[in-house]
Amino acid sequence: MKIIVAIKQVPERDAQVRIDSSGKWIEESEVQYAMNESDAYALEEALQLKEKHSGEVVVVSAGPERVGTTIREALAKGADRAIHIDCSDLAQRDALGSARLLAEAIRGENADLVLTGLQSDDLGYGQTGVILAELLGVPHATLILHVEKTDAGLKVKRELEAGWFQEIELPLPAALTIQSGGNKLRYATLMGIKKAKTKEMRVVSAADLGAAATPVATLQSIELPKKQRSTQIIEGDAKAAAATLVEKLKFEVRVL
Amino acid sequence: MSQVYVVLEERDGRVSRASWEALAAGQKLASQSSGTVTAIVVGGSTESIASEAAQRGAAKVIRVEHPLLAHYTSDGYTLALQQLIEREKPAFVAFPHTYQVRDFAPALAARLNEVLISDVVAIADGPVFTRQLLQGRLAGNYRHQGSGPCLISVQAGAFRAEEAPASASAEITPFAPQIDAAQIRTKPGEPFRGTAQTVDLGSAPLIVSVGRGIKEADNLPVVQELAAALGAELAASRPICDNGWLPMERQVGSSGQTVSPKLYLAVGISGAIQHLVGMKGSQCIVAINKDPDAPIFEVADYGIVGDLFEVVPALTEALKAAKG
Amino acid sequence: MTSLSATLAEPQHFSLPEKLLFFLLLFASIWLFWRRFGPILEKILKSRKDPDFRLAPIGRRIWDFFTEVICQVKVIQQRPLPGLAHAFVFWGFCAFALVTLNHAAVGFGVGFLDPAAWYGRVYFYLAAAFAIACAIGIAGLFIRRFFVRPRWLGKKVSNESGVIAGLIFLLMVTYLAAFFTTDAAPAARLLWWIHTLTLLVFLPLIPHTKHLHLVLSPATIFLKRDGFSHIPPLVGDEDFGLVAGKDITQLVSLQAYSCVECGRCSEHCPATNTGKELNPKEIILGMRGYLNGPGPASEQAILAAEDGTAYVSQKAVFQCTTCGSCEFQCPVGIQHLPIMVGLRRGAVNTGTWEDDYGAKLFNQLERGSNALGISAIERDKFIQKQELPLFDGTQEYCLWLGCMGGYDPKGRDIVAAFARVMQHLGTSFGVLKKEKCTGDPVRRLGNDLVFQTLAEENLKNLAQNKVKNIISICPHCVRTIQEDWKAYGTPPEIEHHTEFMARFADRLQPIQSQEKIVFHDPCYLGRNRNVYDQPRQLVQITGTLIEAPRHRERSFCCGAGGGLAFLGEETGDRVSHTRAQELVATGAQTVATACPFCNTMFRDALGEMNGTAPQLLDVAQLIARNLDS
Repeated sequence: MKIIVAIKQVPERDAQVRIDSSGKWIEESEVQYAMNESDAYALEEALQLKEKHSGEVVVVSAGPERVGTTIREALAKGADRAIHIDCSDLAQRDALGSARLLAEAIRGENADLVLTGLQSDDLGYGQTGVILAELLGVPHATLILHVEKTDAGLKVKRELEAGWFQEIELPLPAALTIQSGGNKLRYATLMGIKKAKTKEMRVVSAADLGAAATPVATLQSIELPKKQRSTQIIEGDAKAAAATLVEKLKFEVRVL
Repeated sequence: MSQVYVVLEERDGRVSRASWEALAAGQKLASQSSGTVTAIVVGGSTESIASEAAQRGAAKVIRVEHPLLAHYTSDGYTLALQQLIEREKPAFVAFPHTYQVRDFAPALAARLNEVLISDVVAIADGPVFTRQLLQGRLAGNYRHQGSGPCLISVQAGAFRAEEAPASASAEITPFAPQIDAAQIRTKPGEPFRGTAQTVDLGSAPLIVSVGRGIKEADNLPVVQELAAALGAELAASRPICDNGWLPMERQVGSSGQTVSPKLYLAVGISGAIQHLVGMKGSQCIVAINKDPDAPIFEVADYGIVGDLFEVVPALTEALKAAKG
Repeated sequence: MTSLSATLAEPQHFSLPEKLLFFLLLFASIWLFWRRFGPILEKILKSRKDPDFRLAPIGRRIWDFFTEVICQVKVIQQRPLPGLAHAFVFWGFCAFALVTLNHAAVGFGVGFLDPAAWYGRVYFYLAAAFAIACAIGIAGLFIRRFFVRPRWLGKKVSNESGVIAGLIFLLMVTYLAAFFTTDAAPAARLLWWIHTLTLLVFLPLIPHTKHLHLVLSPATIFLKRDGFSHIPPLVGDEDFGLVAGKDITQLVSLQAYSCVECGRCSEHCPATNTGKELNPKEIILGMRGYLNGPGPASEQAILAAEDGTAYVSQKAVFQCTTCGSCEFQCPVGIQHLPIMVGLRRGAVNTGTWEDDYGAKLFNQLERGSNALGISAIERDKFIQKQELPLFDGTQEYCLWLGCMGGYDPKGRDIVAAFARVMQHLGTSFGVLKKEKCTGDPVRRLGNDLVFQTLAEENLKNLAQNKVKNIISICPHCVRTIQEDWKAYGTPPEIEHHTEFMARFADRLQPIQSQEKIVFHDPCYLGRNRNVYDQPRQLVQITGTLIEAPRHRERSFCCGAGGGLAFLGEETGDRVSHTRAQELVATGAQTVATACPFCNTMFRDALGEMNGTAPQLLDVAQLIARNLDS
């Protein structure tokens, strides 16, 4: 089975960010980057499928040169080769623009399965995998926790809301977006990193792929969110405090 | 005059709350452009939710109905709504940002050569859509610049469902999309609950967790009643499980499970770091503890400083009353 | 002639057949010795060269040799009675070296120490004194091993030890008896032969038994690696730690063959003492077993071979808290931690260690900033709330928060208390805007990839911020920054907050208090850094210092080190509980710690204790309390 995993490099989960002078994105030089979390789960799923059914795992990632470190991490964890789409305007592209880049880069690979993470931890559009399926003309399923290969194609376990799940069958080729937490992630090893040096990493430029960047949805500006999390101490005697808390749970937390 | 479509979702036979919130967002868009709101219901048979939708706020309701839409599939919904939108050309299409919408709306948008502006939390004049970036650390403001309809999905809780005013019964019209069974490539199974036997705290949306403050095993019913009233799973910090008062599989923390529920209600838990690392990902943390300096209050969103043996029974009563 | 001859009797005029027989027996004895010792030496020499071995500083080596070998300081200090008995045997042997050479020479009629000459008389009397002490010593050790039977010597009584003890006793007795006869008496000849035969049997037994340490341990002690728990660098693209025989270095081989199985490492090991699989002695003997089996060039895995045989248990290796008491205790110069961490490196760097908690920790540090997996924003909030100044290059010290100081609520209390002390002293300091885990847990768990990344990023950050001096409340941070980062750059000067405060002890408002305070020595402050007195000095200005049975160099671990704080539930008893009970049993009102990991471990353990547990405070909190009172 030939599996393509689209991975994204995003600011580290707890990176402190500052808005840049354009007001449209963050000061990238101050941030450290890591593999997007759900993409790491997508990669893990791909590696496990390969271990079970043999085949090839190809990672594809778009972004500037720094993306190389994340690609090497994926190769270190066991991917066989990589495609790096060199582009520096990912934050300005909308989901369709990014998905087009990826689609053009992998179209010729004719993969059996395309995996992406559920959504990116930076822009968080949560659409790349679905649009990619649409552009490649293959069926898709989202929020996948478990993948099983069958004679007819795939049987996948999809997460629904509120603790429900669903099984979906779909033919190959297909695209899936993987939810975090379905598998246990392996860790990158020194041996893997050393082996990764000898694996193929093909660089293609965004311009060569001919996928225009004119976005439909444009990011005009970014700003700090208005309110930050802080502890509200609810005063009053037990009864009053309980009543206030129930109000908060109902109208602010919205869990009742 | 622009048309604003709001695609409603059904849950347990009724219009879901997230859908009403999307309708409220649609109304905001309509009022900005002095347009009208049309509610869209999709399914195999949509009569009852169509009439429910007609009672509340929408100027019009369209029933997108086809036998192949009886069970949700991305292909079916995408085809049906594509046909409706291409025919009616609404200016805006709003969705609730649910798992189902995330499954098909991006493909629908792509097919229309558009992009879904997803997970919108606020709409300003323009319209300018605000959505969270970097997991809430920043907010980004978006504009739609395509020539076709503007598709958005609305984050749960961002708009008040109560904002949608009740109205006289709206006009209901049917729409019959052309769908061929061969066009539906996926085969969905029946939804099922996570395995019922084992405790799966990891996926529990609501958790009541108890710590050393409970003092002895005989006091556990106090929190068990609270968990029952809330419909929550019961969890515990390490000492409780160490003592065998609750099974080990209910332990949250560095040597137990890592959880990230919508609500984590910590009762009598002081908040040692070993516990905090297991539950810090919770969306909302409520702490009840008699020690105002307990570290748990550092991470809590809401705190009640008081004796749990007074506060918890009061809370259980208040919850029962609130749920009717 | 009186019954007691004034001199040692030496038989004269050996016949040619006697000489021939002696020569043949001597040859056979040496041959039997070499037949076993030769291959061992070959295995040691054929092991990989230690990449970072240097003889310098030679002064330290000579000093260690003098104290640990010649003076037997460690042997005596850590187990006084048996230690002294051993020292007598050892000194007896040293004194006997010349006697034995002369004894053999006499057999060929070329004795060089004339028992009648004044120097011979003096020397033989001296040797006789040592012989008496040695005989008493070996008899004492025999009684201990076969009748007292301390559990650390192992369940199985080693019969070979009995034989060896008997031989040594016989050597001494036959020597002493020769003072009671005359040169010409047949008894002298008989004694000479018994003594000779004993020697000739003893020699080949040495390499066949743990008495190999007689030959090896002086070299082992002289050659041991510089620094406590020193983790050697990986060299080249094929070095991932101790994976197989090819990775075993000469020092590791030498140390493995030197083990005398005394069990001091086991006696002090927190894992062994709480019912875990790990027993450091077994790890070393496992390494020896591997060398005797597959050998130093082998590709077969040490931890788990494909046919299922493992010379060393992987599970055991990952139960080590790296507290270092084994390495500290070892009387023959074995350095357990480089071996333990080396085996972990081999397993982690090649991905053969599979552990959910471990993988989670590694993944957390691959993409986040701290070992606890908490958002760095929480650290910012703490800095703001506590109004800690940011380091801007003008302040004297950079206060390193570490994961515990930045994220753990109790660790933050320690930071706050220490900041209060620094403000009182008028010392300028600031905290870094961002900080990453020093990499201590991943370093000890053997993940070189993550450790290198963390060390390099931190070093870069510190250089950019022009940090010259660091203070930390965490001994793990101190050790890792000062020692382990060296592999990747030059770290700034760093000290532990107790060292800093002790320098200003006179300005910290001592109070007279009867409060009994027991101080728990953190492994990474004590054995790793040799800081024992400073925290005690500080405790004494806030109360009355009392000691736990195991303290200073013999302190018992809290259970958190070696990355174990992040590896989930332990098997057997909890190390933290065992230690907490010991601390409580001192009757102290307060338990003082100097490490946020110890603090958090004891907080849990004390909280679960019945009755009123003593309060738990960091030394900085004790001092801050003084200032506020």
